[in-house]
Amino acid sequence: MEKTKATTARKRLTDLLDPEFMTRLDALDVLSRKILQGKLQGERRSKRHGQSVEFADHRPYVVGDDLRFVDWNIYGRLEQLFLKLFLEEQDLTVHIVADASASMSMGEPSKELFIKKLAAALGYVSLVNNNRVSMSMFGDGLTGQLANMRGRNYLHQMADFLLTAECDGLSQFDTTCRQVVGGRIGSGVMIVLSDFLFKEGYDSGLRRLIGRQYDLYVIQVLSAQELSPDLGGDLKLIDIEDADVAEITVSAALAKYYKRNLTAYCNELKDFCTRRGAVYVLASSADSVESLVLNYLRRIRLLR
Amino acid sequence: MEWLTPLTAFYAAAVSVPLLLLLYFLKLKRREQIVSSTLLWKRAVQDLQVNAPFQRLRRNILLLLQLLMLLALLLALAAPILALTAGGARRYVLLIDRSASMSATDIKPTRLDQAKKQAGTFVESLRGESFFSLRGARDQTMVIGFDNHAKVMCNFTADKRQLIAAIDRIAPGDGDSALAEAVMVAQAFAQAPGEEPQNQSVRETAKMILFSDGRIHDLDEIMVSTDELTFHCIGESTENVGVTAMQARRSYEDPDRIDVFATVANYGDEPATTDVQLSINNDVRAVKSVTIPSGKTGDDSDDAGPGKVAVNFALSYAEAGVLQVKQLLRDSLASDDAAWAILSPPKRLSVLLVTNGNTVLELALKACPLAGLDLMSPAQFDANGISDFSAEKAYDVIVLDNHLPAKLPKCRYLVFGRPPNEIDVSVAEQLENQVIVDWRPKHAVLKYVSLTNLFAQECYKMVLPRDAEVLAEFNESPALALLRRKGSVFLLAGFDVLKTTWPFEPSFVLFCYNAVSFLGMQVGQNQQVNLQVGEPIVIQGLAPGVTAAIDGPGFSDSEIKASSAGTIRFPGTDRVGIYGLRISQQLPRLFAVNLLDPLESNIGPRREIVLSGQQVQARESAVTRANLPLWPFLVGLVLILACLEWLIYNRKVRI
Repeated sequence: MEKTKATTARKRLTDLLDPEFMTRLDALDVLSRKILQGKLQGERRSKRHGQSVEFADHRPYVVGDDLRFVDWNIYGRLEQLFLKLFLEEQDLTVHIVADASASMSMGEPSKELFIKKLAAALGYVSLVNNNRVSMSMFGDGLTGQLANMRGRNYLHQMADFLLTAECDGLSQFDTTCRQVVGGRIGSGVMIVLSDFLFKEGYDSGLRRLIGRQYDLYVIQVLSAQELSPDLGGDLKLIDIEDADVAEITVSAALAKYYKRNLTAYCNELKDFCTRRGAVYVLASSADSVESLVLNYLRRIRLLR
Repeated sequence: MEWLTPLTAFYAAAVSVPLLLLLYFLKLKRREQIVSSTLLWKRAVQDLQVNAPFQRLRRNILLLLQLLMLLALLLALAAPILALTAGGARRYVLLIDRSASMSATDIKPTRLDQAKKQAGTFVESLRGESFFSLRGARDQTMVIGFDNHAKVMCNFTADKRQLIAAIDRIAPGDGDSALAEAVMVAQAFAQAPGEEPQNQSVRETAKMILFSDGRIHDLDEIMVSTDELTFHCIGESTENVGVTAMQARRSYEDPDRIDVFATVANYGDEPATTDVQLSINNDVRAVKSVTIPSGKTGDDSDDAGPGKVAVNFALSYAEAGVLQVKQLLRDSLASDDAAWAILSPPKRLSVLLVTNGNTVLELALKACPLAGLDLMSPAQFDANGISDFSAEKAYDVIVLDNHLPAKLPKCRYLVFGRPPNEIDVSVAEQLENQVIVDWRPKHAVLKYVSLTNLFAQECYKMVLPRDAEVLAEFNESPALALLRRKGSVFLLAGFDVLKTTWPFEPSFVLFCYNAVSFLGMQVGQNQQVNLQVGEPIVIQGLAPGVTAAIDGPGFSDSEIKASSAGTIRFPGTDRVGIYGLRISQQLPRLFAVNLLDPLESNIGPRREIVLSGQQVQARESAVTRANLPLWPFLVGLVLILACLEWLIYNRKVRI
């Protein structure tokens, strides 16, 4: 029974990640640029001194200290009680926040698939390395969340979560961020996957995330059609989310202005992120997730 | 530069320019397209367009191109003309030859049409009136169409439409070309002073522009300096075969017999074989095939005579009818291919001889083929009242031999001896021993008559009125004279035959024969039935005010009224063919109008004419516009702009 479920889960995970890719992902791990506080004892150094094999410091004994950690060798030499301090190793929380608003279903290939694949790959790497993984999908607020997954066993659950999530509704980024922060998931690596084309703006939302102890990665996924539109003639553009209408007559000048605006928008987002210590990545849904994960994300040291 | 139809362009502009602008303000029916976010598009659109529509228009190169296109079209509609001629206003007289040879079809459709076309081009290139014109020079032009008469189609005007309408009105004619009258008319009109006070160029001599094939027969009568006249020669071919002479005569001996003499001429360079057809009342009676040699080619081709062949027909026909001789070869000129003659029914004359006994005269008259010869003594003649002789029914000719009748009924008289009173002929004295010094052997009366040996022992010295025709003269007096008085015709011989040597001469019998025939022919003499083109149809002796209907080639039932003198005169015989004149309660009368003009049949264009001893060469090139209509260029510009717009549109739409 357990086995069948696992096979179906595996099978469904392969919808997102092919096995060869997964084997290559096995060799990777999520890196955090900050030494962050985890919740459970884990494989990473933490700021906390505690029980581990890694020596950190000595300090004089005060009453009430655990006598087990007294360095008796020093007492023998100096006849003074010193306590051995060790660095505690804790686990790393990886929080993947993926956009599941209606706009993600656009594009050829769709941004939805790209984001889900990317989330699956990052989740896979994190789970395999015994990190604590939280995965959230958002539209007009959080639409689904899988919290505190750890270990390979959660792979199928993650895949299931990703594959069943549907892209629908408006995107309310600020609300989403408020909910994410309020979820008390704890500090860790936060990866936000979205197209960041929010009418109300992304800055207030991002500011909420940056203010916390997160190592923030902002991955903006745009479709090829958004990066270089292939439109012609007199058009009535309808926003898929809020049915907003823009009447345009496509001309070379308009296309020029569009590209200029797009570049400006992306650069603005990038500036916003870098100035606040977050990492910004722009990806096209037409690119392959594999090369992005295996090459680019390693280069920016999100993965190792 | 001037504009022919600026107002049209104005109106078109008033409608189309706002329409075009309106089109740009109108909302388009747009295709719907779903996108993930309109955020960036809206920003792009905002960047691209500032909300003010005119700023939007300002940057729209497509609209600019369309406006340019529209502007070019509107300008084309206004028909701008770039005048290439400079100088002040000029006056022109267009002389357009419409004679028979201009109907030749060696230039399609005809030479006249070509001449009219060239004249039209010339008129188009004139500087006309236009309120957009850059200068006020307006060329004044007059149009004259001429054949043997000149007809002013249009007096001096600058109105091109009027001029072109006048040129179009010139109809082909079959007359010969006589330029002198046209030139005279042109000069008369051109010198009309003070006709247009604002026109400063009145004092300038008008320039004559002649459109003709150069076959003009009265060039030597024209006094025009060569720089006053520009000659455009129209015509290419000399190929023509035509009937240049034709006569039909009833034989005197056998009035049923008709002799037809025709001459067919070939003006081409190659010998021509043609069939000559004789028909009476449209029934073909005879066809003869003839080969006509080519025209004699000399160094000066103008003077080369045509090849000629005489064709004779003899047939028997005892009734009235229309006789036609036609050559059947198709050639450039149709109007000389046929000639007509009206046949009168054969008539034998009845003659009355009034004499106291003159065997010689009696015998001579008896020798003539007459219907009857009556003899009457002078007493009997005077005893009979005028009423007996009143009509010409009784006798055709009355021969008076030494008798002065008291009253002269209306008839035709051959008078020997003292001329009658009341006919304005007086006798000055009696002369003796007179010999003939001169006579007119070409006159019908003296045909084949030799008067060399005529000696008169006595004769009357006749004092003739001015209109009398002297046929023969003694050394001191007229011997024979022809005179018309009071509807009668008198052939006067001022001597007693028996007191001359004439009865011993063979010429006497001939004279009697001729005289009786001639006088007999004077029956209905006023009715000349075989006419040449341009000769008027004249009928005299009708009741005043009688109306007649005339049919002719190209028209029918044209009403014409007799004058108060009882004369009908119809001048419109400018086409060849049969004309019929009907007067109620009278037999219809037919008239044949023929070209029969070797000069017109010779259609070979003459490139050089001699005026007042100076040669005028024809302009080699056809008339070209002295101004440039600009609309084709503007339309071309529109096309280029349309292509450009298409290109730009495609480049804009494709990203």
